[in-house]
Amino acid sequence: MGAIEVSNLQRTFDGGVTAVDGVDLEVAAGEIYAFLGPNGAGKTTTVRMLTTLLRPSGGSARVAGFDVVSESADVRRSIGVALQEAALDPLMTGRELIRLQATLHALAPADGRARAESLLRRVDLLDAADRRVGTYSGGMRRRLDLASALVHEPRVLFLDEPTTGLDPVSRKAIWEEVTKLNDGGTTVFLTTQYLEEADQLADRVGIIAGGKIVAEGTPASLKAEVGKPRLEVRLSEGRAESCNEVLARFGRLLPGKDETLAIELAAGASGIAPVVRALDEAGIMVEALELHEPTLDDVFVIKTGYHIEGDDPAGADAEAVEKTER
Amino acid sequence: MSPATTLRVIGSLGARAVKQTFRRPQLMAPLLIFPTLLLAIQTGGAGRAIDLPGFPVVNGFFDFMLAGAMIQSTLLAGNTGGIALAVDIETGFTDRLLAAPIPRFTIVAGRLVGTAVLGALTAVWFVVIGLLFGAEINEGPLGVLAMIGLVTLSATAFGSIGAAIALRSGSASVVQGMFPLVFVILFLSSAFFPQELLLEPARTIAELNPLSYIVEAVRDPVIGAFDATNLLEGLGGLAIVATFGVTLAALAMRRRLRIG
Amino acid sequence: MTAGTAQLSLRSSLHTIAAMVRRASNELLRVPGAAIPGILAPTIFFLGLTAVFGNLTNLPGFDADSYESFLIPVTLMQGAGFTGAATGVNLARDIEQGLFDRFLASPTPRWVLLTGLVLSASMRALIPGTVLFMVALATGVEFPGALGLLIAIAAVMGMAMVASCWAIAIALRFKTQSAAPLMQSVMLALILTTTAYAPQELLTGWLYDAALINPATHIVEAARQGFIGDVSWAETWPGIVALLGLVALLAALALRGMRRTAY
Repeated sequence: MGAIEVSNLQRTFDGGVTAVDGVDLEVAAGEIYAFLGPNGAGKTTTVRMLTTLLRPSGGSARVAGFDVVSESADVRRSIGVALQEAALDPLMTGRELIRLQATLHALAPADGRARAESLLRRVDLLDAADRRVGTYSGGMRRRLDLASALVHEPRVLFLDEPTTGLDPVSRKAIWEEVTKLNDGGTTVFLTTQYLEEADQLADRVGIIAGGKIVAEGTPASLKAEVGKPRLEVRLSEGRAESCNEVLARFGRLLPGKDETLAIELAAGASGIAPVVRALDEAGIMVEALELHEPTLDDVFVIKTGYHIEGDDPAGADAEAVEKTER
Repeated sequence: MSPATTLRVIGSLGARAVKQTFRRPQLMAPLLIFPTLLLAIQTGGAGRAIDLPGFPVVNGFFDFMLAGAMIQSTLLAGNTGGIALAVDIETGFTDRLLAAPIPRFTIVAGRLVGTAVLGALTAVWFVVIGLLFGAEINEGPLGVLAMIGLVTLSATAFGSIGAAIALRSGSASVVQGMFPLVFVILFLSSAFFPQELLLEPARTIAELNPLSYIVEAVRDPVIGAFDATNLLEGLGGLAIVATFGVTLAALAMRRRLRIG
Repeated sequence: MTAGTAQLSLRSSLHTIAAMVRRASNELLRVPGAAIPGILAPTIFFLGLTAVFGNLTNLPGFDADSYESFLIPVTLMQGAGFTGAATGVNLARDIEQGLFDRFLASPTPRWVLLTGLVLSASMRALIPGTVLFMVALATGVEFPGALGLLIAIAAVMGMAMVASCWAIAIALRFKTQSAAPLMQSVMLALILTTTAYAPQELLTGWLYDAALINPATHIVEAARQGFIGDVSWAETWPGIVALLGLVALLAALALRGMRRTAY
């Protein structure tokens, strides 16, 4: 039994806007699953349904073994949630917020206080703990949000766009924390619009567009679907023929552009060294060597016809409607 | 969730509500400054009214007005609490609470506890103001306790209406827009002037307005004596308001959960 | 600076002012729901206060039969006060959203920005004023005569300028919409600590002294002409002086606030 089981999940808003149009997925316990897609694709709506904040219009979902509609209270006991808008109270201090969260999860006062301290230390917010959240930077707020989602040591953690708007250093910090959590056994369901995030963190990725999953699999398998890494070689002087002979030993020759020769390099980055050695032995002078790996964006473009970074043209309305309905 | 834990949750949310008001001093203005200002102005401006035939026997117009100011405070406290709840909804803080394993009603209950505490504090404030500026509270310390109790209940009752509006609209500016309505309800009652001396149609409406009875119950200990009938009518008025508010709030919450 | 450039900048200043006035009315039309309470509030107060305190006219020394006629200038001023405060709240919102920085960074002189805001307030104040006036006439208040009406209109627009200068100064100082109660309550206090509820002789305690010193009393009394009694120059000029004085003082405050914000 998976930690998250979703079957034909749907959500339509008043006015006929369909934000989620029949999503099926399964996340095994201990997995990190990333929902990758542009703005408006239906990621947030799906997360809100899985965290019992929104009622599905159709289909079903089970989280931690409980049905999100009929056993919602049990779901809430088992999940940790860090939502997109980092819903923190600017007038509370960090410490007060985590303690409140602890109370909301029925931790006894003494336990709650202890947990709050250890979590604050863990996300490096001990120094700022007594300052009002309103004075925190974006990165600090996200860390606090993450810490408060962990107060009750949930089995399943939902993160909605955890690093959107953060600088690279803060982003790395969040990634490290998520990985550590996952090493400890927590299942993580995260949504993101960043390829690198899905690529780096996730065991499996579900690519969503227009309210539907258009591709699913491990980052590697998804990329392999659209092609193999391509090694491009630019020579400093002639000798294209001999170069091609050498390269052909390592992979299929591909049509190159202008002065560039190219081969398909199945081994990817680890296969570069032998190629360089061979070219060197043959006395061929190389000006530049570039490896192009297919990206998840390439997968996206192939499946949907447009790029991830940017907005889902079909779905931009859906998430806007949801915001106004609330 | 066990009853003890539920109470703890309500207490924590209530503590937060109180802290919010103190940490945003501007929120204190409608709670204390407005009503005190109005009390001072109306006492000075209409003070000679006690000479009008038909005006109840009082030590001074100030003594008469004190109860009106206190109840005005509770109405505004309900409005302010509603605004705070609406802001929570707008910023998504309420989602944080909804995603936690707490019973839904504790979200409103916590807010109301906060409003009740603020109600009690404003009652104490006005008692102190009253004594400082020469009011004579006929029924003494017992009267003061009764006033504080009634005002606290009143804040809770009107808080539930504010919460209902917040839940239904999800918008702080809608709740803010109810501000003038508070004064309508006050004018159409015996909060600022004796019921018999109001002009029609306000006079008739005041007779039907539960607020009049609530104000009378708070006024008695100051200018008159404990009156069982008035007290019961006052509590009845509170019960009507509270039932109305809690029902609306529950319906609004249910609708919000259904729609998302 | 040649005459041509001077004219150009005057024209562009006028354009800017017109644009700001247009923008302010946009807000009114785009979110009518938010505007309704502000427009109706003075009328609600008028009806409420007259119903509650109407019997005060029976007191010896009250030189008017109709409490409505006595009170209407006060609630007209209140409407102007709310409108002015609303201007400050809108500015605070613009500041919060960073929009105002864009205005400040433009070559538009500060006084032009201020004038645009203040002018739009004084014109908008005529809306609640008109609604109130209609309702008052319906309740039996006598038409104050052309001159009385003119003075009332001038008082409303003047008071709106006073209130908006104050609210703008507060908005620039605190940079947050939650300073709204401060904007509203000070203006309310200014207007009500006058001969608002009763004639001077019938005021009691501290309010008697306060009303004597408060310049706003003159404004209220000036606006009261026509509704109660006749219009005379003796009653009018103190009001004009009071308005000019308050506007000058608060406009200076607001302008100073704008200059400091830029740093």
